Amino acid sequence: MKTIFRIVLLTVSAVFTLVSFTSEPNTTSLKCMIQMVNYTGEGAYVVISLIKPEGEYNQTLYVQGKDSEWYSDITEWWKFYGKRRLDIDAISGATIAGGERTVSIIKIPKDRIDAGYKIRFETAVEDQEYYKKDVEFELTSETLASKVKGKGFIRYVRMLPQ
Amino acid sequence: MIISLWRYSHLLLAISSAIFLLIASVTGIILALEPMSDVIKPYAIDNIEDITISETITALQKEYDEIIEITVEENDFVIASVVTKEGNDERIYVNPRTGEKLGVPERKSGVFKFATNLHRSLFLKGIGRFFVGLISLLLIFIVITGILLIGKRQGGILKFFSKVNKEYVNQFYHVVIGRWFFVPIIIIAFTGVYLSLEKFALLPKYEVPHRISAQTEQKKETIASISFPIFKKITLTNVKSIEFPFSDDVEDYFTLELINKELIVHQFSGNILSEQQYPFVKLVSYYSLLLHTGKGNVFWSVVLLVTCVAILFFMYSGFYMTVQRRKGSNLIYNIEDKDASEYIILVGSENGSTYTFANYLRSALLSVGKTVFVAELNAYTTYQEAKHIIAITATYGDGEAPTNAKRFNRLFSTIEPVNRLQFSVVGLGSLAYPEFCKFAEDIDEMFRRHSKFISSLSLEKINNKSTDDFKNWIQKWGVSVGVSLDTKTVIEDENWKRDVFKIIDKTYINTDNTFLLRLKPRDTSIDFRSGDLLAIRPEENMVERLYSIARIDGDVILSVKKHDLGVCSTYLSKVGKGDIIKAAIKHNVNFYFPSNTKDAILIANGTGIAPFLGMMKNKNRSTRVTLFWGVRTKKSIDIYNDFINFSLMKEGTRHIAYSRENNIYVQDLIRNETDSVINVLNRGGVVMICGSNDMLKGVISVLEKAVKNQLNVSLNTFIENEQIKIDCY
Repeated sequence: MKTIFRIVLLTVSAVFTLVSFTSEPNTTSLKCMIQMVNYTGEGAYVVISLIKPEGEYNQTLYVQGKDSEWYSDITEWWKFYGKRRLDIDAISGATIAGGERTVSIIKIPKDRIDAGYKIRFETAVEDQEYYKKDVEFELTSETLASKVKGKGFIRYVRMLPQ
Repeated sequence: MIISLWRYSHLLLAISSAIFLLIASVTGIILALEPMSDVIKPYAIDNIEDITISETITALQKEYDEIIEITVEENDFVIASVVTKEGNDERIYVNPRTGEKLGVPERKSGVFKFATNLHRSLFLKGIGRFFVGLISLLLIFIVITGILLIGKRQGGILKFFSKVNKEYVNQFYHVVIGRWFFVPIIIIAFTGVYLSLEKFALLPKYEVPHRISAQTEQKKETIASISFPIFKKITLTNVKSIEFPFSDDVEDYFTLELINKELIVHQFSGNILSEQQYPFVKLVSYYSLLLHTGKGNVFWSVVLLVTCVAILFFMYSGFYMTVQRRKGSNLIYNIEDKDASEYIILVGSENGSTYTFANYLRSALLSVGKTVFVAELNAYTTYQEAKHIIAITATYGDGEAPTNAKRFNRLFSTIEPVNRLQFSVVGLGSLAYPEFCKFAEDIDEMFRRHSKFISSLSLEKINNKSTDDFKNWIQKWGVSVGVSLDTKTVIEDENWKRDVFKIIDKTYINTDNTFLLRLKPRDTSIDFRSGDLLAIRPEENMVERLYSIARIDGDVILSVKKHDLGVCSTYLSKVGKGDIIKAAIKHNVNFYFPSNTKDAILIANGTGIAPFLGMMKNKNRSTRVTLFWGVRTKKSIDIYNDFINFSLMKEGTRHIAYSRENNIYVQDLIRNETDSVINVLNRGGVVMICGSNDMLKGVISVLEKAVKNQLNVSLNTFIENEQIKIDCY
């Protein structure tokens, strides 16, 4: 009886250890800088998401802007996020104004790289436009360290693997 | 127009922005608390001016994997964006000396968020912001017009901080607080406008154009950033933020945002690649934000808070003053045409209160069936039927004409009156001003020099809007022009405070239909003297009745004549011993018994004896008093025996006329004793008259003749120097 109990205990702890160790190596940390254009007005909301090869949302990576009342202004993403409203406190930061830059660390599951997944930067500013694909590019080993120009409030995005 | 252009603008601006200003001030009070609540947070770094950038970087590098940005807030909080040793990014308050994490920036609390939103955009986003900006602009104009008004009121900008005359609390503090708070208010308003303009991108665009030439980019040497001379030199007190290079690419630099300039520093050599001073607009924006929000300065945020409270007070007191003025100026409506009126009252008023006085006189004249026309001094013209002209005027600022009298001077010199007119001038003002009633003096002089005008009474100056003085003047003036005027029912003090009195004694009703009441005030500290008046209003909204009273042993003594149709006397005849009544004491300082006089002659008929009962009882032993009194029968005086034993009065000091029995009236008694009356007046003694207007008329005509014959002066001389005091009704 005792031995069975020990085995079970050992197995359980082994499984836990395995899980907790495997979760980390499965993601890649990227240093990501968003440089805004010189617009006037309120701080911009920026949402960084992973997009499936089919074009659907897969995961929210980062949210600039902590006032959830404005989230619905980022309409496309809201359709995805608004349904479930997972806790995104850990991956959200303050809004950034025109001309400013922000640097954050985002974590991307390794299996999404070179797998047809895209990274999307959506932007919206109070009383101004909303850009669904301010910046969007495919996640490949090459693009992980790159500089991509934006179409809306973002001047460019730079990424650097940590 | 009663109110001047500036005052009108001041008011109009205030009214049009009232609601928004109210919201902005209330939310402003809340928001002013935010910088104060920040101070108690434990993130402030002491002596931040001693810590260099390189010290800070050294400390942070020890604790964290990478530094992304360092921000120094106005309240000396240092925020670092770092990548931790675990590979996560964090934005935290740090101690720049040790690199220790002090806390995590909290989200703005809900109350402040709500207040901020309401304060700057009324929850209306862009439109709201526009309105708030506009209101700030209006506030600037309100302050400017306010400064001009204070300057005018004080008699010149140089006297801006001289003593303010106190009319009433709201007016006084509106001025006193206004001349200190115009400074912070104009700062708040200006910065508010500026911040709005900035939001609407209406200010000239500023960009800080850095040009980095190709040569300087070359990577020649590599020094650790903590050894950069520039980082060793600059301390955190000058820093707004430092952005660290994104990667070790040579094209990534340090960007230093300092208070007044921006620097680009090469990440390997530490050379300054570009240095740009901020344009003026940007500096103004920076300081506007600090001044408007009080960020980082508790003292200033306290000033802002108090200023918001002051704005609320200005709104309250300002509207209160406006209502007061309206009350005054709305009172004129003329029944008769200017060419059909015998009495012309001309008013010079800055804020309308003078109209209240004009109206007292007008009502008194109307009640005796006279025709009256009231107009402002600026409307001076010819009057076909006029016999009397009375100018009642305030003086504005440094002896100037009030707004609605500015043209009078010119009109007067060009318009020739139709008839010869009797004139009289009343100046309203305050002794606190050096030029007390100056404009009234000027007008009086103008009339005096004009051959068609004859003075009926010399210039009267009334201090501090005293209704008692004015009432007294009305009586004097009435006497001088031969009209007996009833002022008691006309002049009312609106804020009268009633006290509670208990009836402790009441006599029977005598043959004169008169009875006496003795009242004890519940509040024994009430201040009153013999000669004061007791105002009684049996029912609300009724015109009050005034009774002259005596003070004997702290009690009120009044004598009431019962009229069959008199509501008040009927009411008083029904109350009994032990009953409680409510009444107000009204001070009647012009009818007090002089404390230093040697001789006094008291003249009364009927109930007019009441104040004299107290005066005779409480007088100095050395003062000689002679009484002239008219009643109907010998029995009439019995009810007074409790107070004065008339039979004990010395021979020659008591003259009582019994009209029903001997057909003799008070004036007849005086006619027999004119020598002694003239003697008293001549020696500087006083003559006090209390009773009915008919009696007064008779007495005055007797005295006038006597004074004219024996002293060769007008009786008015004695009325004016208050040797003759009158309290008649």
